[in-house]
Amino acid sequence: MPPRHLTFGTFGFAALSAGLLFANVAAQAPAGIAKPWTLPRTADGHPDLQGNWTNATVTPIERPAGQPTVLSKDVVARIEKGVVDRIERLAAPSDPNREAPPQGGDGSTGAAGNVGGYNNFWIDAGERVAMVNGEYRTSLIVDPPDGRVPALTPEARERQAARVKRFQQFGEYDNPENRPLAERCIASFGSNAGPPMLPNYFYNNNYTIVQTKDHVLVMTEMVHDARVIRIGKHHQHPPAHVRPWWGDSIGWWEGDTLVVETTNFHPQQIFRGASDTLKVTERLSRVDADSLLYKFTIDDPATFTRPWSGEVPFEAMTDLIYEYACHEGNYALSNVLSGERSQEKARAAAKKSPQQ
Amino acid sequence: MRIAFSLLAASLVLASTVPVAGHHAFGAEFDPNAPIKLQGKVVKLEWVNPHAWIHIAVVKDGKPEVWMVEGGTPNTLLRRGLTRDSLTVGTELVVDGYQTKDHSLKRANGRDVTFTDGRKMFMGSSGTGAPRDGRDPGEGKKPPPPPAR
Repeated sequence: MPPRHLTFGTFGFAALSAGLLFANVAAQAPAGIAKPWTLPRTADGHPDLQGNWTNATVTPIERPAGQPTVLSKDVVARIEKGVVDRIERLAAPSDPNREAPPQGGDGSTGAAGNVGGYNNFWIDAGERVAMVNGEYRTSLIVDPPDGRVPALTPEARERQAARVKRFQQFGEYDNPENRPLAERCIASFGSNAGPPMLPNYFYNNNYTIVQTKDHVLVMTEMVHDARVIRIGKHHQHPPAHVRPWWGDSIGWWEGDTLVVETTNFHPQQIFRGASDTLKVTERLSRVDADSLLYKFTIDDPATFTRPWSGEVPFEAMTDLIYEYACHEGNYALSNVLSGERSQEKARAAAKKSPQQ
Repeated sequence: MRIAFSLLAASLVLASTVPVAGHHAFGAEFDPNAPIKLQGKVVKLEWVNPHAWIHIAVVKDGKPEVWMVEGGTPNTLLRRGLTRDSLTVGTELVVDGYQTKDHSLKRANGRDVTFTDGRKMFMGSSGTGAPRDGRDPGEGKKPPPPPAR
């Protein structure tokens, strides 16, 4: 299998057409007789998982309605060309004499928040459909077979409603503690660092794995999050009140697969509103020279009506990972909070003025 | 966050249904009722996470002012060989965006940041469009980064 880990940079600057993109892939296929790949091992005999890896992909976590489980090569080529075409389109010059954007907002939705965010050249969201076992997948979730997160239990729905109510006591912009952990540079956005470690569909979906006989460390570029996994079934999770940001992870080897069990999740960093009894089991194995297969299972009977599982390809990176150093959003958090204080003053002044 | 939504929704058969929780909704930081267009020369570049800030000197209502323009994460551009030196002081830019909600601050989001001929900063028809990044014809070649492992 040719490597499927071209980066945005590769095609963004070296091959600005879909044709060149795929020519580039073909060029990386081994010429002549391929040398058989041998699983690299560390000094203690376990598979060597070390290196830089990326899980960026366009395949969503949940399967969109009406999609088949797997896609044909032709459809994948069309999707991936669509991504390249869009990046090219967004790289086209703007009118230098353009006016300011519209008063009242530019209509952008989601996190672009009606003000449009910033240029696409900052973005590196992933360009490839996830391929696992030779299949082009339409969702990262593989179980349940519909590729969707199972329904929440009534208990979980009540818990979420209570959480919303608790937060509604405060204004959204009242204080730093009410702002999302990602905005404050405390945790990655989405479930990038996890566990489970999932792509954020935006940028910096990159990981460094470092391995010793006794520990495996997984550093997630967003946001400099490092998970330290103790190796050995003799380890025990700490008491329930000990809740590190990424939970407590214990790993062991089953044949050539690293199995990691994580519990003790932090209440502010809990995955999809799960309960404090959430258990995530991950399985990491090397598939070939260029990829790892990452499997995860979410088990939380208090939240989900059944356990559910996913599979995510991690592709080898030849690029560097840079320290994502930031503190409390740097300017962003103060802009958000001072912005609200300023608008509060303006609203108070407007309220007063009709009586004067 | 931001453009990720339209990327997935507009271009792909596989439309993501999972909201991406960003550092912050830009709507929390910038005022949709304060659109702004700026043109001026770069005086300083803060190549920092979570977001780079470009400082530009403009003349507004006849008065000189320095405005700060928010961009994305430098990490992505660093992997493409683009550093703070890729955008030199003195380069003239055109920016449109929205001002911060606190209007006493001279800050805006760089919704669209281009050179004065409209080319996208860091992305052009020749090489990257970035000045002196080593990738455009006629410039010395920039050495590739060392292997990651």
